[in-house]
Amino acid sequence: MFNLRCAVLNSVSALRRQLVTPLNASVTVPRCGSRWLPILRTLSSSAVRHQEAEANTGKDFSYFPPLPGQESTLRWAGKKFEELPIVHIKATYNNTHIQLSDSAGQSLVRTSCGTEGFKNIKKSTPIAAQTAGISAAAKATAKGVTFVRVVVKGLGPGRLSAIKGLTMGGLQVVSITDNTPVPHNGCRPRKARRM
Amino acid sequence: MSRHLRFIARTVMVQDGNVDAAYKILNRVLTQDGIIDTVKRRRYFEKPCRERQRKNFENCKRIYHMEMARKIAFVSKTNREDPWLGC
Repeated sequence: MFNLRCAVLNSVSALRRQLVTPLNASVTVPRCGSRWLPILRTLSSSAVRHQEAEANTGKDFSYFPPLPGQESTLRWAGKKFEELPIVHIKATYNNTHIQLSDSAGQSLVRTSCGTEGFKNIKKSTPIAAQTAGISAAAKATAKGVTFVRVVVKGLGPGRLSAIKGLTMGGLQVVSITDNTPVPHNGCRPRKARRM
Repeated sequence: MSRHLRFIARTVMVQDGNVDAAYKILNRVLTQDGIIDTVKRRRYFEKPCRERQRKNFENCKRIYHMEMARKIAFVSKTNREDPWLGC
């Protein structure tokens, strides 16, 4: 599994190299059934854990998403990773917008803190983002959506709590992507505030 | 990111529905890559003179911290092979 991961790494960015080494160094054997098999075999010493590791050879979890070129056996409700619907969460400093669209891009559900009845400063709170997440999840389950990929944009107060709200509302989050726009020196931002 | 393939970079899979752990991992990766830092800094414009001052300061801080860490590691090293062995 480690060799396969090395092959994948060589074709993707350096970001992934950083992800693998801290995980391998710091991860410990989880109590509820281990999934990190060949790497953790050296860490686990007792015979019982050894047997557990060998028994769970079927399920291999990787923090990397299945690439479109690679054939992976992971399916969620029968769908491949590329066909799952996407939840776009735009977490600005003043508000949080949540929009659920299918893999083609057709919009299904759209909620925000404003549509939930919050006004002005109350919109820029994590609680408002959580309520927006719960209501979006409720509308999504009404349309028959279960597994979902999340794309977060922006560093706002509702960044984590919107995802939490989605899980509380009943949607299963499969992966989290960060799509915060980073300009390579494009538009000049507004001037610095002097308070 | 519209010119790149989607769902390849800056993506973390969620294990067993543990969204908190996945978000933590994503955050750690983004901080290590300096993206969170850059986004916070670009919220307001930083004048070139202030940028040069900040870069200089960060350089000095980095040198100081590396040297201090080296010194501490050296001073706290108590077990070593006998340097006077053989004479």
